[in-house]
Amino acid sequence: MSNPHTVELPSYKEQSPEVARHFAEIRERPVKLEIKNLCKTFQNANGSVNVLNDVSLKVHRREFVSVIGPSGCGKSTLIRILAGLEDATSGSFLLDGDQPHGPGADRGMVFQSYTLFPWLTVKKNVMFGLEVAERSQQAAEAEAREWIDLVGLTKFADAYPRQLSGGMKQRVAIARALANQPSILFMDEPFGALDAQTRAQMQSHLLQIWRNVDITVLFVTHDLEEAIYLSDRILVLKAHPGEVLEFVEVPVSRPRSPQQFLQPEFLATKQRLEELIHPRRDIEEEALPITRMTNVGDEAE
Amino acid sequence: MNKPVSTGSARRPWLAIRKDLTPHRQLFLTVCSFLLPLAIWCLFSYTPFIWHPDMKLEISADRENVTVVYTAGDHVSKEFFPTIVSEVQAENVQILANREAGIEPSGSSSRIRRANQKILRHIATFAVEKGWLPRNDRENDQAIYEIWKAVATDKIPDAKRRLTNENLAIIERNWDLLSTRSDVFNSRLLPETPLEKLVPQGKAANPVYLPDPHEVLLQGWSLFTADLADDETSMSDRYFHSLRIVFFGFFLSCLIGIPIGILCGAYDFFSKLFEPFIDFFRYMPAPAFSTLLVAVFLAHDAPKIALVFVGTFFQMVLVVSNTTRLLDESLLEAAQTLGAKNLSLLRRVIIPGILPNLYNDMRILLGWSWTWLVIAELIGVKSGLTEFIETQGRWRNFDAVFPIIILIGITGFLTDQFLSTCRSYLFPWTPESAEKKRGPIGRFFAWVINRDVYVSPK
Ligand SMILES: Nc1ncnc2c1ncn2[C@@H]1O[C@H](COP(=O)(O)OP(=O)(O)O)[C@@H](O)[C@H]1O
Ligand SMILES: [Mg+2]
Repeated sequence: MSNPHTVELPSYKEQSPEVARHFAEIRERPVKLEIKNLCKTFQNANGSVNVLNDVSLKVHRREFVSVIGPSGCGKSTLIRILAGLEDATSGSFLLDGDQPHGPGADRGMVFQSYTLFPWLTVKKNVMFGLEVAERSQQAAEAEAREWIDLVGLTKFADAYPRQLSGGMKQRVAIARALANQPSILFMDEPFGALDAQTRAQMQSHLLQIWRNVDITVLFVTHDLEEAIYLSDRILVLKAHPGEVLEFVEVPVSRPRSPQQFLQPEFLATKQRLEELIHPRRDIEEEALPITRMTNVGDEAE
Repeated sequence: MNKPVSTGSARRPWLAIRKDLTPHRQLFLTVCSFLLPLAIWCLFSYTPFIWHPDMKLEISADRENVTVVYTAGDHVSKEFFPTIVSEVQAENVQILANREAGIEPSGSSSRIRRANQKILRHIATFAVEKGWLPRNDRENDQAIYEIWKAVATDKIPDAKRRLTNENLAIIERNWDLLSTRSDVFNSRLLPETPLEKLVPQGKAANPVYLPDPHEVLLQGWSLFTADLADDETSMSDRYFHSLRIVFFGFFLSCLIGIPIGILCGAYDFFSKLFEPFIDFFRYMPAPAFSTLLVAVFLAHDAPKIALVFVGTFFQMVLVVSNTTRLLDESLLEAAQTLGAKNLSLLRRVIIPGILPNLYNDMRILLGWSWTWLVIAELIGVKSGLTEFIETQGRWRNFDAVFPIIILIGITGFLTDQFLSTCRSYLFPWTPESAEKKRGPIGRFFAWVINRDVYVSPK
C-alpha cells in the first residue's frame, strides 16, 4: 500500500489548462450568493460563544461549493443563517443581489435528518412546496412526478417515508427541495447518516442531478473525499471561532468519476485539506494507559 | 456434547426482559388478566371457609321489647348471631312454661291473635326464597297458613333439609294448636294463646358490600329487563342519559380546548397569554364549582355538562399545547424552507403532524371525563346511573350497585378499544399502525379514508 505522505504529489494549486479554463468560466458567471463579514454569537448560560467570525465569500451561479471544518466550527450555523432559520449577529448576505428576510422558497434546504413529513406520501412530500405556492393540483402533481422520476423513485411515489430506506428518504428530500426550483440549494451533511455504499451512490446521483438542473449548491460535509469529489471549490473553516482558513479550488477535472479518487490532484487536495483541518500534532498517536489484558500468545498488531 | 437447540415457541421462556411473547401467549395472558380477578372474587364468594364473617338471616323473628329488628336478608356478625338465637329460644321456653302452668297470657285475646298472625308471617320470606310460595303471595295470609300446614304435615319434601330440626318441631307444635282451631286461615280463629317463635336461621355470608358474582349477574340482568312503573326511569334511559352528558361535555371541551391548545403550542403569544391562568385554574377542583354551576345553568343537564367541561377543558388545553410543542422542530424548519408561513405552516405541518398524538391524548381525556360524570350527576337534580348507584348504595343493595359500576367500566374500556383500533386506519403512516396486520375490513377502511395514498402490501 502506498502511503500518500511518502509519494511525491503535485501542489494542489497546480491546475491543468482545462480546469483553469473551468474556473475562469465560473468567475465570469454572475454572483449568486455573496456573504459579507458574517458573525454569529450565541448567548448561553455561561456567557456568549462566538461561533462564526467575519466570514466572507462569493458563490457564482451553478457552482458547487462545499464547506468543511472540524465538528462544532459553525458549518451548520452558517448554512442555517443563509437559509433564514437563524439570524446573523452582524454582517449580511445577498442572494442574487438582494437581502432575503426569514426562510423562503427561494432557498432550498436538505437536512441530515431527512425531515420528510411522515403523514404524506413521497409524491405529496414532493408536492408540498408547490401546494404551498398554490399551484394547481394537476400541475403540482405532474411536476412532482417528474422530480420523483429524476431521483429514481417512481415505484415508491405512493409509499410513506416510513417505508423507505435512508438513501431513498434523502433522495425524496432532494426532490422536494428541487421541485420548488430554488435558486440555491443548501445541504447540511445530507449523506452523513448513510452507510458507505449508499453514500457513494448518492454522491454520483447528486452530481447527475446537478449536471442536469440549473442549481447552485452549498454543501456541508465533514467527509473530505466527498467534498473533493463533488465540489468546484471548498470552503475550509477553523473552529473557535469559525473563520475561513482557505477557499480551495479543486484541481480535479470534470466530469467527475469515482476513479479519480486516486489521481494525484485528488490526493494532493486531500492532503492539503487534512493539513488544514487536522494539523499534524493532533493525530500523533497518544499512548493510552492500557495494561495488557489478553493471554493469547499471538500479537494482534 | 451439544444439546440440540429448539427454536420452537415451546422452548422460549415466558419471562424474558423486553421480549414480546407469541400472539397465542399474549392472547392467553390477556384473557387471564380478566379471569384472575374474577377467580379471586369467586374464591372468596363460594368457598364457605374463606372469610365469610357474617351470617345472612334466612328466618328472623321479632323479639319482645327489642327495638333493633333483624329481618330476613339482614347480615349479622357470626359472634352476635348466637345471642339472637338464644334470646328467641328463651322466649319460646317462657311461652311453653306459661302454657304448661296454665298462666293466662296478659293482654286481650285480639292482641294475641294479631301477634300470632305476625309469627305466622315470619316463614313467608323463607318460603318465597325456597320456592314454596309464589312471590306475589308474600303477604297472603291464606297461602302462608297453607305453608305451615304443608310443612307440619310433611307435604313439602324439601322442608326437612332446609329447616333446622328445632324449627320443624316448633312448626309441628304450632300447627297442633292451629289445626284444632281451623284448617284454613281465619284471623278470628287463630289461637288465643301465644305461639312459639321461629328460631333465627342463617347461612355464612360475606359482608353486604361483597355480593356473590351470580347475585350481581342476576341483579344486573333484572335491572335492565325489569318491567317498570310509568314514573320510573328505565336503566337504559339512565345509561343513555349518562352517555349524553359525558360525550356532550367532552365534545364541547374538545371544540374549544383543542384550538386553544394548538395555538398555545404554536405561538408563544397565546401560550403566555392563556397558559399561566389555565395552569392556575386547573388546581381548583371542578366539583368545587358544582353549586356555582347549578346557580348559573339552573337545573337539568346544563350544569352537569358544564361540570364535565370544567373538569376536562383546562387539562386539555395544557395537554394539547404540550403535544404541539413536542412536534419535531426540524419539520417546521423544513416546511419553512419550502415556503410555508404562519397559517399554511399551522394547517399543513402542525395539525397533521400532531394528529396521531392528539388522538391519543383525547382517548386519555375521555377516560377522565367519565370520572367527572359521577360527580356531575350528583349535582343539582340527581340523575342517570350515578343517582341509581347513590340510592341503591344507601339502601346497601350492593348487588345492584356493582352491575352499574361494571357497566361504566365496560363502556369506557370498549370505547377506548374501539378508538385504538380506529387509530391505525386513521393514521396509516404511524409506526404503530404498520405493525398491525390488516384484514380485508381494515384494508377497506384504509381505502375509504384515503383512496389515493393507500399502498397495498406487496
Ligand atoms: N442554538 C444554539 N445555542 C447555543 N449554541 C449553539 C446553538 N447552536 C449551535 N451552537 C454552538 O455553535 C457551535 C457550532 O455549531 P454547529 O454550527 O452546529 O457546528 P457544526 O455543524 O460545524 O458541527 C457549537 O459549538 C454549538 O455548541
Ligand atoms: Mg452540523
